[in-house]
Amino acid sequence: MEPQVRREVVFAETPEEVWRALTEPARLEEWFANDVELTPERGGCGVFRWDDGSVRVAAVEEVEPARRFVFRWHEEGRDHEATRVELVLDEAPAGTRLTVVETAPAGLRASALAGEWSWGVELLAALPRIHRLARAAA
Amino acid sequence: MPPPDVFDALADPHRRALIGFLAAHETATAGELAQQLPVTRQAAAKHLETLHAAGLVERRRAGREVRYQLTPAPLADVSEWISKVGAEWDDRLDSLRRYLER
Repeated sequence: MEPQVRREVVFAETPEEVWRALTEPARLEEWFANDVELTPERGGCGVFRWDDGSVRVAAVEEVEPARRFVFRWHEEGRDHEATRVELVLDEAPAGTRLTVVETAPAGLRASALAGEWSWGVELLAALPRIHRLARAAA
Repeated sequence: MPPPDVFDALADPHRRALIGFLAAHETATAGELAQQLPVTRQAAAKHLETLHAAGLVERRRAGREVRYQLTPAPLADVSEWISKVGAEWDDRLDSLRRYLER
């Protein structure tokens, strides 16, 4: 397993409604960034700007309307390498489940453990605790 | 960038098992750790020494015992990335929920 961040949330809205909130620039400007340009199609580009001057640039890789949206993005001037984000929508009993998976950049993976991640889930979960322990001991 | 011996230290499944045990138990003695592996106590001690040399575990004296614990430094970059990106998504998903519910 590669190091990744994963979140799952359920919204009461339909997959179509959640999809529009995730992919239509005017809607994204209501909750995600102050200024949004996005072409939600394979090979399309996205530029997200915030009032504090930060900018994120995205390249769209896969689009299945109301189902799956995959892009790579990075923060301008800060991240040296883009990360991959996969947004998946599926129906849940109470509405729509959104699953977000952001995968660590390849450089980070290489510098960390040379791809040896099948064993690491437990360790990653424990890291915050290990940090606290180390700080307490210092 | 961690030193190369971190990769070597983690290439072995027995050493990864020791790391997994320490991750779950915070600290352990060499004897407790040796019991986790289907190898001799001497072989386990050698694995522990390799992890120590790679900076992945440290020893602390607690009374008459020596206890081992993980050191987070070689994994700090991954740990930081995971906390930062996780917090970003938590914030974004909160905003998305507020937007959808209004």
